[in-house]
Amino acid sequence: MVDKKNNLKFKTKNVSVFYGSKQAINKISLDIEEKQITALIGPSGCGKSTFLRCLNRMNDVISNCSVNGKILLDGNNIYSDEIDPVLLRAKVGMVFQKPNPFPKSIFENIAYGPRIHGIGNNRAELTDLVHHSLEQAGLIDEVKDRLDDIATGLSGGQQQRICIARAIAVNPDVILMDEPCSALDPIATAKIEELMSSLSKSYTIIIVTHSMQQAGRVSQKTAFFHMGDLIEYGETPKIFTQPDQQKTQDYITGRFG
Amino acid sequence: MSFSTLLLLIIAFSLCSFFFSSSSAFKKIKSATSRPSALPKHYGQYSLAWTLFPAFLLLIVFTIIGPIYVDNFFKQQIALTEASYDKAKIELVLAMIKNISNGSISSDEPKILKLADEYSNYLSKIYLFRTLSVLLLSSILGIIISSNINILKNSRVKVETFYRILFFVSAVIAIFTTVGIIASLLYESLRFFALYPFFDFLFGLHWAPNIAIRSDQVAAQGSFGMLPVLLGTILVALIAMIVALPIGLFSAIYLAEFASKRVRDIIKPTLEVLAGIPTVVYGYFAALTAAPFIRKIGMTLGLDVSSESALAAGAVMGIMIIPFISSLSDDIINSVPQSLRDGSLGLGATKAETTIKVVLPAAFPGLVGAFLLAVSRAIGETMIVVMAAGLSANLTINPLETVTTVTVQIVSLLTGDTEFDDIKTLSAFGLGLALFAFTLILNVIALVVSRRLSEQYD
Ligand SMILES: Nc1ncnc2c1ncn2[C@@H]1O[C@H](COP(=O)(O)OP(=O)(O)OP(=O)(O)O)[C@@H](O)[C@H]1O
Ligand SMILES: [Mg+2]
Repeated sequence: MVDKKNNLKFKTKNVSVFYGSKQAINKISLDIEEKQITALIGPSGCGKSTFLRCLNRMNDVISNCSVNGKILLDGNNIYSDEIDPVLLRAKVGMVFQKPNPFPKSIFENIAYGPRIHGIGNNRAELTDLVHHSLEQAGLIDEVKDRLDDIATGLSGGQQQRICIARAIAVNPDVILMDEPCSALDPIATAKIEELMSSLSKSYTIIIVTHSMQQAGRVSQKTAFFHMGDLIEYGETPKIFTQPDQQKTQDYITGRFG
Repeated sequence: MSFSTLLLLIIAFSLCSFFFSSSSAFKKIKSATSRPSALPKHYGQYSLAWTLFPAFLLLIVFTIIGPIYVDNFFKQQIALTEASYDKAKIELVLAMIKNISNGSISSDEPKILKLADEYSNYLSKIYLFRTLSVLLLSSILGIIISSNINILKNSRVKVETFYRILFFVSAVIAIFTTVGIIASLLYESLRFFALYPFFDFLFGLHWAPNIAIRSDQVAAQGSFGMLPVLLGTILVALIAMIVALPIGLFSAIYLAEFASKRVRDIIKPTLEVLAGIPTVVYGYFAALTAAPFIRKIGMTLGLDVSSESALAAGAVMGIMIIPFISSLSDDIINSVPQSLRDGSLGLGATKAETTIKVVLPAAFPGLVGAFLLAVSRAIGETMIVVMAAGLSANLTINPLETVTTVTVQIVSLLTGDTEFDDIKTLSAFGLGLALFAFTLILNVIALVVSRRLSEQYD
């Protein structure tokens, strides 16, 4: 796995983010490989979510947030004027910390994205797509008889997998996940981790997590953030066994954070 | 002593007992070995409550019952001495006695003067009794409670009970006054329906009450068919909602979803100020500006618009309701969790798509409730229609004609010199009842609908 040569999906150069005058992250340069899982770790408030949200311009939604630096997706600067953030987000999907299915039926939740982007023009195609997405998200057996039930009535873990299926349904290149398991129990967490591993065959996944074990289990590369700075970035086994930086060592051994 | 002096006195008493009790509890707690079950202030509040509330209740009871009791007593007296007097005459004499005793009229009839004298004597005796008993109750309870502070007893629980009773009583008063108003409305309406057949009122197509100008005027009994008036109300309210709903809702969507924080911070308070403009001002606007304007436009289009059109009243009422709908809807839309918007935007939906397909459906139950509240408001609105809609009850759905509304009719039936057991006056209560029933039904529908829908959504 280590010597496999991968294409770069994202290249980021000196990315700094400000909320008003307050700097949240400072000159982050980080390259993310295609069809791999990259984990972002670090103590609370160090800017992991902020960085993640730069990658699909979800920061645009926050009114006082400004982003400097360059972020290239497949070689194109996503912050250039020609890029439509709406199309970008179709390519770079996002799963949030708290499961946030829409208060609609399971079917409508999954079909929402495709409908918006004009994928699946007729009912049959759409139904296929919904089934396929649910299958990829490992949820199909649990919900196939109740696609018309309201999605908010599912368990937290199922809701989170609905959100993943919803993201997959628009056929993105990249899936961003911000602490997707923090609201879930170990069994649901294990299911989602399994799911991530199988999804990484076709998608590039970037995950923020507070669980060192999770990062160790699922990711190929790990980036350690501290107070807005990128301290260390490398192969996951290396970060967790012999990090170069003292701060990384301290964090993974639980001496601070 | 007067009511307010007495009240101030018992409040002063209870404050004293509060300070005395809490300081004595404080001392006892300080020197106690075991852990006290409440704080000094709880003991203070406990004795304050006992010093204040029973005496206050007694005061209220005396103040209400006392004069009634005295009146009844004197009615009996009068009836005994003047056996020939009927009820109305007795009331009259009593009123005279009362007026003489408080000095607003004078009389030279010795019998009456004597009674008036007795009356004021009796009343002042009652009041003296009131003063003594209230002060006695307050001070005795205050002294007993505050000199027997036992810090092992948990006064916190008892204070809690007092609070609970206080809030409960307030709730009961609120409910009872409402029930009382409805009961009186029902009672007067029943009197009306005794004079006029219920179904003729409910389904009659003709409304012409012909209010008597003088009581001796011989007027033919008018006809009281409610439908044209109700239809007028519905027409005006409908026009108002057609104006207010889209503008109010869309401006709320703009405010909640699209406006920058700066714009929002300016517009939101402005809307709230607009919502506070007295309706009589809108009435002015409707009568003096909107109605002539609409009439002029109608004339250039070759339409015959009456000078008091349903359209003018309805449109201005709509303008009045815009800030109401807008402000309510804005709050409702804002309460849709941001995570839903993020979810939709994160899938590559635009802001408008997110608003239409995710935010509005999630806010829908609340919006229905707000909308029906606004409808009730339009139906109950009086001032604008009094000033801008007409008085003649036309059975029409043409917005360019004059219509009248339930509220306008009630106002015109009850203002001026009216007799209170006249059928025309009583018919106002029938209308009031109909209006009440109508808005009640709307509110119930609003409640049921938004409950149904929100079950579906969470
Ligand atoms: N909307 C915002 N407005 C202002 N400051 C913000 C905003 N969002 C985040 N911040 C600040 O930016 C910094 C980084 O926040 P961020 O949410 O990226 O941290 P995080 O690493 O994701 O933390 P956690 O692990 O707790 O989620 C923090 O100091 C935070 O207070
Ligand atoms: Mg975060």
